[in-house]
Amino acid sequence: MAEERDAVALHGFRAMIGVVPMGDVGDVAVRIVAAHLQAVLGLSADVLERRPLNDACYVPDRRQYDAAKLIASLNDCSAPWPYLKIVAVVSVDLGVPILRFVFGEAQMGGRCAVVSGYRLRRNEDGTDAGLELYYERLAKVALHEAAHTLSLFHCEDSRCLMHFAASPKHLDRIRLFFCPRCAFLLKETLKSLALSAGP
Amino acid sequence: MAGRFKILVADDELIVRESLVAWLKKGGYQVEAASGGREALESLEKAAYDLVFLDIKMPDMNGIEVLKVVKQRYPGTMVVMITAYGSVENAVEAMKLGANDYLMKPFEPEQLALLVEKLLQHKKLIDENILLREQMATAAVERYQDMIGASPAMQALFEMLEKVAAVDSPVLIKGETGTGKELVAKAIHARSSRRYGPFIAINCGAFTESLLESELFGHEVGSFTGAVKAKKGRLELVRGGTLFLDEVGEIPMKMQVDLLRVLEERRIHRVGGTRDIPVDFRLISATHRDLSKAMEEGHFRRDFYFRLNVVELEVPPLRARREDIPLLADFFLRRFRKETNKPVEGLDKKAVELLCAYEWPGNVRELENAVERAVVLAKGRILTEDDFAFLKRAVGTVEPQSLEDMERLHIQRILTLCRGNISQAARILKINRTTLHHKIKKYGIPGSA
Repeated sequence: MAEERDAVALHGFRAMIGVVPMGDVGDVAVRIVAAHLQAVLGLSADVLERRPLNDACYVPDRRQYDAAKLIASLNDCSAPWPYLKIVAVVSVDLGVPILRFVFGEAQMGGRCAVVSGYRLRRNEDGTDAGLELYYERLAKVALHEAAHTLSLFHCEDSRCLMHFAASPKHLDRIRLFFCPRCAFLLKETLKSLALSAGP
Repeated sequence: MAGRFKILVADDELIVRESLVAWLKKGGYQVEAASGGREALESLEKAAYDLVFLDIKMPDMNGIEVLKVVKQRYPGTMVVMITAYGSVENAVEAMKLGANDYLMKPFEPEQLALLVEKLLQHKKLIDENILLREQMATAAVERYQDMIGASPAMQALFEMLEKVAAVDSPVLIKGETGTGKELVAKAIHARSSRRYGPFIAINCGAFTESLLESELFGHEVGSFTGAVKAKKGRLELVRGGTLFLDEVGEIPMKMQVDLLRVLEERRIHRVGGTRDIPVDFRLISATHRDLSKAMEEGHFRRDFYFRLNVVELEVPPLRARREDIPLLADFFLRRFRKETNKPVEGLDKKAVELLCAYEWPGNVRELENAVERAVVLAKGRILTEDDFAFLKRAVGTVEPQSLEDMERLHIQRILTLCRGNISQAARILKINRTTLHHKIKKYGIPGSA
């Protein structure tokens, strides 16, 4: 109920978040991500048409896609799409120049984010995490990255969605909620967006 | 908490730099980037950083060289070396030189997160420790407000102050200009039983005789032209407190008698009045003049001198307690850094050596002004010898001179410039010809027309 009461009306966009499947990521995973973004952030989310992965973003040495390049390419192609934020979901391994891998990447206060399920399917001991846990992890990463696009920083509260999780084990400790401080900051950001979007 | 930490990323590879900066910004840290070793040092010169990520291989100046400078100039800054695969030997060398840790590109996400958290926690503890040590060090040497001194001379003075504050006897403070005589007087007042009463200071050298009399004793209506209202003098206003007579050697002979009477009888008459007014104050006087000589020359009353000089305190000149100069310089630096909001953190070794070598004819006041000037005009975070270049000209070249000597030399110089033309020289000096003639006669300046 509190979420509904705190929901902020943003005008001028068909839905607030566009969730775009890229490559061969499963439809269910994409729909689960969209549902969680809508439920936790209180912003409407649409699942968009599937897109191919840009080969130029592939880094052969590391057998990974460069997450920062993927975001840059997504930024270019999504410019005309009528969404406030774009979250891409992929099934390939992602990395950035300084980190061996990332679960997701986002532009701080920007428009686009990308999340990957590649490293979320297995536990650290190599066992299968199971579909339910996999989807939950993916939703947490998507919420974390989407919140970065809404200017939220990493949080020191180890159970908050904005806490930096470097492994699936860390992700499992995090709950599907923002801590009170991050929830407040999120609400403030959404309020300011509603004001700047206008009637 | 993250927002209060400042991090610098120095790497010549744009994608590495951008990637690390972006990751750190997500943590809420204040992050700046430098594309090479020299740029990193320039950034460090301009602002203080808690943590620096330094790539070992940079074309203009490698990370090891930058590390050496950072550890020498900014020892409080934490440094993490960034190495590429296969260059661990460089990282080992860097650790020996004082780097706090190293990371091999690309990093494990967990490793980076833990390292940053660990180092910044460590930095926070170091900062708290430094602050506590500074407070303790200051408390140890700073016994009375702005009075600082760890030297034996100052420690002896502080001990004496404790004793003097406990009694109500008059005190005569001797010392050169700028040594902090008024601070000593305030300290005695603050520790005395009169501390809840007023502390009133008057510079006896700043008034003409009649004005000084009116300031001290007050006046009744009509006592002189312009006295349209009765006025209480400072001797009345200071009731229950401490009266500080600065430059007491300048008090005219007639008033010395009046003051002596006040000290004996503890009552005054306002100028032009007849009513007895009781007074209650402790007298502290100060002088930079040699009063014994003034007594011999007949300019100062012997009985007045002995009445003032029940307890005598001597404030040592700064050159006699050179070991206090670094402490004082640091104290003033911290004060002016706060006042001017400039990120000046300290003085380098050569600057301290220069300050310690200088004669400081103007004593602590001159040092205070010098540090203020250096902080205001400073370009970097550390004050160097160059920031005190204005002192260099004076070191070892000029003996301390009296105002009279300076005046004589200046008049001689102007007269030489004007080839002895009195009118022209008087115009330049902005005094009239009669005054100039008087001064030429007084100083015995030869060769003028």
